[in-house]
Amino acid sequence: MTRASDTAVLELEGVHRTYPGSPPVNALVGVDLRIEAGEMVAVVGPSGSGKSTLLNIMGTLDRPTEGRLLIEGTDTSKLSDRRLSGLRSARLGFVFQSFHLIETLSALDNVAAGLLYRGTSGRQRREMAQIALEKVGLGDRLHARPTKLSGGQRQRVAIARAIVAEPSLILADEPTGNLDTATGDGIVDLLKQLNADGSTIVVITHDADLAAQLPRQIEVRDGAVRQRAVDQ
Amino acid sequence: MMDRSKLRARDVVSTSVVGLRSRRGRTALTALGIAIGIASMVAVVGISSSSKAALIAQLDSLGTNLLRVEASSTGISIEPLPIEAEPMIRRVENVDAAAAVISTEFEVRRNDRDTNVVGINAMAASPELFETLRVDTTAGRPLDDGLRALPVVVLGDVAAIRLGITDLEGGPVIDVGGQDFVVVGILDELPLNPDISRKVLIGDQAAIELLGVEPNPTAIYVRVDPDLINETRPLLAPTAHPGRPAKVDVSRPSDLLEARAEVDQNLQNLLLALGGVALLVGGVGIANVMVISVLERRGEIGLRRALGATRGHIRSQFVLEAALLSGLGGVLGILLGSGITIGYARRQGWVVDLPPLALASGLGAALVIGMLAGFYPAAKAARLDPALAVSGGSN
Ligand SMILES: Nc1ncnc2c1ncn2[C@@H]1O[C@H](COP(=O)(O)OP(=O)(O)OP(=O)(O)O)[C@@H](O)[C@H]1O
Ligand SMILES: [Mg+2]
Repeated sequence: MTRASDTAVLELEGVHRTYPGSPPVNALVGVDLRIEAGEMVAVVGPSGSGKSTLLNIMGTLDRPTEGRLLIEGTDTSKLSDRRLSGLRSARLGFVFQSFHLIETLSALDNVAAGLLYRGTSGRQRREMAQIALEKVGLGDRLHARPTKLSGGQRQRVAIARAIVAEPSLILADEPTGNLDTATGDGIVDLLKQLNADGSTIVVITHDADLAAQLPRQIEVRDGAVRQRAVDQ
Repeated sequence: MMDRSKLRARDVVSTSVVGLRSRRGRTALTALGIAIGIASMVAVVGISSSSKAALIAQLDSLGTNLLRVEASSTGISIEPLPIEAEPMIRRVENVDAAAAVISTEFEVRRNDRDTNVVGINAMAASPELFETLRVDTTAGRPLDDGLRALPVVVLGDVAAIRLGITDLEGGPVIDVGGQDFVVVGILDELPLNPDISRKVLIGDQAAIELLGVEPNPTAIYVRVDPDLINETRPLLAPTAHPGRPAKVDVSRPSDLLEARAEVDQNLQNLLLALGGVALLVGGVGIANVMVISVLERRGEIGLRRALGATRGHIRSQFVLEAALLSGLGGVLGILLGSGITIGYARRQGWVVDLPPLALASGLGAALVIGMLAGFYPAAKAARLDPALAVSGGSN
C-alpha cells in the first residue's frame, strides 16, 4: 500500500473530552498529536491524568467532546457506528491490561477472533491466527485454553490477536500492568520487535524505565499532552 | 475509506453457541424453564388429540349408523309405539336391521338371595337386537328364535356385575316377577348403549306370555346404510307411528359419545393456558439470565466492539443466544411432551396422535418467546459504551 508521505497514521486536533457529571471531569483538554507510521510511542503520566481516555479516543472506542481524530487521513468524527467498527476491524489492534481473552476458546480461536468481524473465512482465520501465534512465540500452544496459560502467555495471545489483521496502529493500555517485571520485559521486547518489523505502536505505561527505552514519549498531565525530548 | 465490518452468517451462529457453551449449567437450567412450558402444551394437545383419535376409532368400529326410535317422553304418560312399528321400519329402504325392545317395571334379583338389585330391570327384546347392536357375549350365547319364548335371560355386562354373576358356572338362575329365569348369556360391553348394559334381557314372547308384558315396543334400534343415514333418518318416525310422527323421537347414540369429546375442549384450553403461563415464565427467566449475562460479559462485549463488531453484531449475537436457548428448551420440551403423550396414550390403549402442527408451533412459540426475551438485554449490550466496557470487565 502506498500512502502520501504527509499523511500520519493518526492525528488528533484540539481534542477535548469532558465526562458529564457534577462537576464535569475534563479528562482531556486540547490535545494535539500526530503519530507517524512505524513509530513506537510511550504514553506516561500519573494515574487519572487521562492516558486511557486518550487511548480510547485514538481507538475510536470513545469520541472527543470537541476536536477531531483522523486515522490515515480520514476524519472519524462524522463516521457512523458501522463505519467506525469497520475501521477498527481493519486498521486498529488493541491490547488490554486484563487481556480480555475468551476462556472457552483455545488460543488459536481467540486470535482468530481478531479477524471475525472482517468477514474472513474460518479456515483462513485459523491459518492467519497460527502465523500470528508463531510470531509471538506461542506456536506450540495453539490449542491451549487461556486458563492453562501463564499471564505472560495470555498477553502474548492478546498481542497475536491485535496483530492478526495487520492493523495500521496497535494501541496497548498498560499491557504489562498485570505482569511481574521479568514477564513484562518480555512483552515489551515483543512489542519492540513488532515495531522493528514495521508495526506502529502506542503503549501506555506506568513504568518509567520502560518508557525510557522507547524512542518517543508523550506525557499526559491533567488532560494535557506534553511531548518529552528523547532521553538518550 | 471502505472498511466495513462483516460477520458471516455461520459466525453469527457459532459466536452465540460459544456464549451458551461457556455457561452450560445455566444454559441447561434456563432452557428447562421453556422446556416445561412447551412440554406441557405439547402433552395437552397430544393427549387430547390422541384421545379424540381413539374415540373416533372407537366410533368407527361401533358404527355411527345406529339409530334409536322411541316414544317421546314429553307427555305425562309415555304412549308406547305401535306393535307394527318394528316390521314396518324393517321394510324401509336402506334399513339393514331393526329390533324392538320393551322396557318393564320388573326389578330382578338372584333367586338365592332375597333382595332385589336396585336399578336392574328386565327388558323384553326381539332376537334381532343382538345383531342390530352388533354385540357379542362374553359367556354363553345371545337370545335367538329358539329361546324367544323360554324362561331364559341374557345379562347386560353391568347388570351381570351388579347381580354378581360373572360366568355361567353352575347355571345361575334369577328371579323376574316371581318366576325363575335361567341365565344363558352375558353380553360384552356396549359403549353406545349403556342403558342396555344395565338390563336383563328376556325374549319378547316369554315376556308377553310369562310375565304379561304389553307387546308394544318402547324403543326400536335401527341399523341403516352408513352412507344414507341422513336420508333414512327422517323416514323412521312417520313409519313407526304413521298417525302421530311427532310422538316419536329418533336419536343417534354415537352423538352422545361425540359430544363427550367436545366437552373436553374447555379443559384442554385451560391446560393450554397453563402451559402458556409456564412458557411466559420461562421467557422471563431467559430475559433475566440474559440481562445478567450482559452485565457479566461487559468485557467480552467491549473486546468484540474493539475487534470491529458493530452494535448490530452485538445485538444479533445476544438475540440469537436467547433464541437458541429457548429453541433448545423448545426441542427438549417437544421430546418431553411427546414422551408424556406416548406414555399416557399407550397406557390408555390409544393410538398415539401427535399433530405435527402442534410440535412445529411449540418450537415456533419457544423461538418467538426467546427472541422477545432477548431483545431488551441485547439492546442493552449493543448500547454499552465500548470504552467503558473494555475498562470495566476483567478477562
Ligand atoms: N467514564 C468515565 N466517567 C467519568 N469520569 C471518568 C470516566 N473515565 C475516566 N474518568 C475520569 O477521567 C480522568 C482520566 O481518567 P483516565 O482513565 O483516562 O486516567 P488514566 O491516566 O488512564 O489513569 P490510570 O493510570 O489510573 O489508568 C480521571 O479523573 C477519571 O476519574
Ligand atoms: Mg488508564
